[in-house]
This record gives sequence, structure tokens and C-alpha cells, in this order.
Amino acid sequence: MSETQSNIFNKIENDYKDYGFRAKELAKEGKKLIGHVCSFVPLEIITAAGCLPFRVRGDIHEPITKGDALLETIVCPYYRSVFDLSVKGKYDFLSGLVIPHGCDSMVRSYSAWSYSLPYSYFHFLNIPTVCVESSFEFFNAELNTFRRSLEKFVGRTITDHDLVQAIRIYNETRDRVRALYNLRKIDPPLLSGKELTMALTVGSSLPVDEFNALLDQVLAEVDRRGQSHLKKGPRILIDGACIDNIELINLVEELGGHVVADTICNGARDYFPRTDEGGNPIEALGRRYLDKVNCPKTYRENKTGTFEGDIASRFGDIGTYAKEFKVNGAILYVYKYCDPFGFEVPARKAYYQSINVPLLHLEDVYSAGTMGQLRTRIQAFLEMIG
Amino acid sequence: MADEKKEVKPKKRMTATQAAASIGPMVKEFITGTLRARAEGKQKIAYTFIVCHHEEIFRAMDVVPVWTENFAGICGAKRDAERFLQRAESLGLSRSLCTYALCGIGFDQWREELGQMPPDAPWGGQVRPDFMISSGQILCDPRSKWYQASQQFMPDVPIYNIDLPYPLFQRDRDHRDVWDYYHQYIVKQLRGLVTFLEEQTKKKMDYDRLRELVDLSDRTWNLIEETYDLRKAVPCPMGTGDAMNTMVPINFMMATQQAYDFFVNLKKELEEKIAKGEGEVENEKYRLMWGGGLPAWFALTDFNYFNSKGASFPVETTYRMVAPLNQMDIPETKDPIEHLAWRWLGYWTFWYDKAKKRPGSEPDVERLINRIEEYKIDGVVMHEAFSCRTWHVGLIWQLHQLAKIYKPIPVFVTGKGGKKEKIYRELPSLILESDIIDITSYSEVDTKNKIDAFIETLESIRLNRAA
Repeated sequence: MSETQSNIFNKIENDYKDYGFRAKELAKEGKKLIGHVCSFVPLEIITAAGCLPFRVRGDIHEPITKGDALLETIVCPYYRSVFDLSVKGKYDFLSGLVIPHGCDSMVRSYSAWSYSLPYSYFHFLNIPTVCVESSFEFFNAELNTFRRSLEKFVGRTITDHDLVQAIRIYNETRDRVRALYNLRKIDPPLLSGKELTMALTVGSSLPVDEFNALLDQVLAEVDRRGQSHLKKGPRILIDGACIDNIELINLVEELGGHVVADTICNGARDYFPRTDEGGNPIEALGRRYLDKVNCPKTYRENKTGTFEGDIASRFGDIGTYAKEFKVNGAILYVYKYCDPFGFEVPARKAYYQSINVPLLHLEDVYSAGTMGQLRTRIQAFLEMIG
Repeated sequence: MADEKKEVKPKKRMTATQAAASIGPMVKEFITGTLRARAEGKQKIAYTFIVCHHEEIFRAMDVVPVWTENFAGICGAKRDAERFLQRAESLGLSRSLCTYALCGIGFDQWREELGQMPPDAPWGGQVRPDFMISSGQILCDPRSKWYQASQQFMPDVPIYNIDLPYPLFQRDRDHRDVWDYYHQYIVKQLRGLVTFLEEQTKKKMDYDRLRELVDLSDRTWNLIEETYDLRKAVPCPMGTGDAMNTMVPINFMMATQQAYDFFVNLKKELEEKIAKGEGEVENEKYRLMWGGGLPAWFALTDFNYFNSKGASFPVETTYRMVAPLNQMDIPETKDPIEHLAWRWLGYWTFWYDKAKKRPGSEPDVERLINRIEEYKIDGVVMHEAFSCRTWHVGLIWQLHQLAKIYKPIPVFVTGKGGKKEKIYRELPSLILESDIIDITSYSEVDTKNKIDAFIETLESIRLNRAA
């Protein structure tokens, strides 16, 4: 590996460890950074307002302390960790925070966030639970309310042109991420799951143009690799919510597997759906965030009248990824206390069975303390499918 | 097999009012009523959830509601939920999820596997529905996931999911700026429900009947407020233990004459008790508020334990799912569907304006403060049910905010004649921990120890104030 080649991944690793390093610099320069959590927040509107979206992260190594004085322990453990870091001041450089109706943990803790943190801007974005004509109308109105509240905060109008520009640039990010994923279709993959997850995690803390430049550098470097430096091993799809710490993926890869595909929030769920260009930008954003982001929080009607038809419709993206990325097995990784994903476990299990993909279901608590137990179970699974 | 075993029959809770004592047979009747309706086959039967403001539509269309949360609560109260919870776990559902839903899904799976009710099903069991009406509200994820999960075992049973949002409280915003489009959306969702029910029942909605039922509900709402306000009396004639029974007509029987009549009788009973000076407890020493959390249905006798220490519960926030309509700032309309949507928004935003006026307050906190003052409350008790985020996340924070107002030190206020007065506004709180129906989370000894320690604190404050 040449010096230039290693430099980009060294930089990513450093930025991953010192998450928010660049954002803090920008905040010092007077930029307004708006924190967000969950895939339902339309980053295009934040960017169009001249602010920088910043995804607040948790830390599986950090014991939850201050957060527990204000929030119940029955909250989603990932979200608890993010809240704990926030009240400890890790994200005090932010100017604001947007919380969507992603799950009960987000809705019910909104007051605790908005009264406990020193940000001058808070916004709650209501997301419909169904995808029907009236819910798109409602969601578009909610997006416009969000737009107006940001306009008031920054003191300028967000034009349709601003939105169109932002949509274009985020679509460019998504195209680049898709190109990175494609590099994992090769066996063994040209890019490890750990490398990709670190890059995407770091990217969610950067201005979108810097993220695009970073992705270009990663693509160029992997291109220079020519062939994979990895050994062949079981090809794994990770199915779940937000996994913004690399330990789980690292574990799979240390044990000889390769994470080649996923459905996670800071992965395919966020980056695969593009926003339609050329029409009304708010309507296009409404369509993308409500319909195209495939989150279990959104209820999708069973139009087939059969269970098999229902799961094929709800989880069809998994089957597509399994084929495209030639996966040998999947890990369904669900956080304890996560109602949206938790209630889907039996149906997801049935779906994996229907497409003949072996599945390991893990329930976890977003803590480094469980990695030992997970190692044993993942090792056994990889041996079984290997 | 472990799931064949039933648990030990629980002790019955003693009630303070005749009205509360009459609830058990009433609930049993509407469970057996659903079984009867299934056998007769004349009416359609629907699974559904409470607090959706859709009862009037159901009843106008002669659809029989099966309140699935209610059935799970009955399993819990009868200490017969464990075998259904274990069924759900065996399917891959985590015990950390809503245990009402787990109980319901476990029951459904078992019933569908057998093709008949599971053995010794509580009160005859939960009947197979013709369709299911779920609800993607802003406050409960399991409501839109539960029936979808149950559909795995009965894919022929269709679901209609009503989305019922409301604008979340934001200190620096006026909810009225957005509620027109919220209202339009809710109206469309409710009209969609009407269309769905018309398709399922092959009948047309009778809007005159619907209007009458909405009017009946509105009158019942106001009557409930008047009735519960009587509990401000000292001594308090009816406590939260009883209110966990009288929640039945509020939540499961709205839009029926029976619910209205129930509160006419309860109001009369409370007025008589007040006239005689009869309290929930003989010598009322402490007035407590049930400040949040669903109860542990298998341990309602804990209220009797509080009572045995001289503690009464004049007020609770749980299950008081009504607010005075005459104090709601909602537009007049002759369209019953539009009215239901306004009432929905009026209910959920009821405390918003008041909360904005008090620094550090928030609607849930504001409601607590108002209840504390109106009902002369000495302490707050909450219950954290581990499996339910909907009603339980945020309670710790609410107590945290309350503690900023009710400080454990004497506070000087400007009293009559502009003179400074020293007052004690200390308000101790107790958080009980277990679950709504999962009895494995509960320890009677620990709970009683916590209650004892709390009562000692209340007593010491009482003595300090007296001194």
C-alpha cells in the first residue's frame, strides 16, 4: 500500500475516533451546525438553509451516567447513548437539533432533550406512519413547517432553487456511496465493511461537499488497489437499525467473514434511495423520506392477502441485496427495547427462510461489554455457513 | 410444557365505591359479548386500541370492538399472561417489547395453531376478528406493529391503520399555526376508516346516528370531568385504585348510554360519600397522586397497601383520557368527523398554552402541577413499566422538572398584604418498578419496602410542617 493510499484511510480512522473534529472547526468559524438523529431527517433542507447537518453518534465504550438521571433505561440503548453523550457536552458545538418521529424513544424524550441541552434551535418533525395520498400531503406540509422554522432561525429564505441544488448534491453523495457498495460485489470484496462503515460514519459529520470529496478519494484509492487484499470468507449482510460503531462489523471480519451488504440506517437505508429531480422539491423530498426510506416504523399495508406476499413486499430490498451482493448469511442485529424492529423479528426470520439465506438473530444493548458473547455466537454462525 | 401452566389466582383488590366494584362483571360481559357476537355472526368484529377517538364510528356502524390491550390486561390481572408471553418469545419476540402486544400475539398464534381457543383461556378468550384497526399515533409504536405481527398467523384478516398525529409541544411555537393541516389529515384518515368499515360491513354510515353518538360522548366527557373533580374533597371519596376500574367506561365503552349512566351513578355515589364525610381511607393522612405510568395489573392490591397506611389517591394522570370540552379552543362544526378530529387535537394540546406561561414547564409537567395544587397533593407516585416506552419514557424527567418547583427547603412567597411568608412546598416522589402484565418483573416485598420508606418520608414532612 502506497503512502497516499493509506493516507485516506488513516485520515478516516482518525476522524472516526475524534468524531466531530471538523464540525468543531467549522462551528468555531461561525457555521451553524444542526444535529440530527435518524434517517427521517431531510438533510437537504438543512443544507439549503446554509447550515451543516451533523449526525449525533453514540459510543458503545462510554458508560451511560448523566443520561440516566434524566431518561429511563427502557429507552432504546443506542438513543440513550446519544443522549448521554449530548448531556455530557460532547456536542455542545451544535447550534440546534432536529428530532423526527422515528420511534417512541425519540418522541417521548423530546422534552428531555430540548430542556437539557444548550442549543438555540430545536425542531420536532412529525413523520406519518402510513404511505397514502393524505399522508404525503400532510408530510409535505410538515416539511414546509420545518423549512419555515429554519428560515426563521437563519434569517433568510430557503428558495426552491436552494432545495434543488441540495437535492442534487445529496444524490451525488448517494451515487458515490452506491459505487463504493458495488466494490463489495466482488469476491473477496475490494473494500471491507469496517472501512466502509468508518467512511460513512465520518461522512455524516462533514459538510456534504467535503463528504463527496472524501468519497472520491476513497473510490480512487480502492481503484488503485486493483485487486482485493482480503481473503475469501463468508459474505454477510447486516440487517438492523443504526450501527455507528464498527465493533460488530469488525468482529465479523476478524472472524473471517466479510460484511458486504446491509440495511442499516447509516448504510443502505440512508444512502440507497435517491430523491427525484426535476419536480417540486418538497414533494420529491416527501416521497423519498416517507416512502423510499424503508424503516419498520412506517406501516405498509399487506396488499397481497398472504403472509408470503406481505413479507416479500416489505423486505424485498433484503432479497435484492442478498442476490446482488451474493451473501452467504445474514445477521439480524436488533437493539433491546426497539419496538419497530423488535416486532418484525418473526416476519424477518420467515423472510430469510423464504430466500434461503441463513440467519443469526442477535439482540444487543449497544455496549462494548457484550462483544465477547457476540464473538462466540458469530464465530459459531460463520463456521456453520462457512 | 411451561406455557400450559397457569399462575396462582390473585387476591381481589378492595374497592371504595360500589361503582368500581361493578366493573369486573361489566368487563366480563363485553368479553363474552364478543364471543356471542362471533357465534351469532350478525356483526363484524374488529381488534382495535383505546384512545383513538373512533369509538363513535365503530358503534354507528354496529362493529363490535375487541380492545386487545384490555384482554392482555385481563390476562395480567388474572395472573395468566405468562404462558402467552412465552409463546410470543418462542416466535423470536423479545420480552423487552410491549407485553400487552406480546400477550396478544402469543394468544393469537396459539388460537390460530389450535383452530380454537387455547385451554382455559381467560373469560373464554379473545375472539378471532374480521378485521383489525391499528393506529400509528405519535405516541405508540406497538400500535402499528402489533396487528401486523399477528397477521402472520391470520393473513386473511385485513388491517386498516389510522394515522392520528398531533403537533408535539415546542416551547417557541404556537401549535395553532400548524393544526389546520393536522386536522385535515386526521379527517381524511377517519373518513378512510369509514370507507374501510363500509366495505367490510357492506353497510353505509348513518351520519345522523354518528352525530348523536358523538354528542353522547361529548356529554360523557364533561360528566367524567365533573365526577372526577369531586375527588378534590377531603377526605377523598374515591382513589386511583378504583379509577383503575372506572377507566373501563372511559376507555372501552365511550359512545354508549351505559358509559354515560355509569358516571351519573358514580357522581351520585361520590356526592353522597362527600356529604357523609366518607373517604377512601378511614383516617386520611396523605393525599397522593398517581403521576404517571400504567399500573401493574397483577398487583392492584398495592393500592390497598397504600390505603392501609392512611394514604389516599385523589387523582391520577393515567387513563383520565378526557378533558373539559368547554375549555378547549376548538372550532365549531356540524360534521361529526371534523368534530372528532378537533376533539383529538384539543385533547392532546390541552395543556400547551398553560405550559408556555410557566418557565421550565411542559404539558405533562403542567398537568402534574395543576393536579397537585387542585387536589392538595402531598406526594407523587409513578410506575415505570419496563416494557412500555409510550407512557413511561419521560417520567423521570418530569419529576426532575417538578423538583425545581417543589423544593425540599422552605420557600418564601409573597402572601396576603404583600408580606413574605415561609411555605413548605416539598413534594416527595416514589417510582415503583415492574411491568403492566409481566409478573416476573415484580417483587411484592421490594414494592412494600419502597412504599414503607415513602410513607416514612411523608410522615416526617408532615411532622416538620406541623412543628
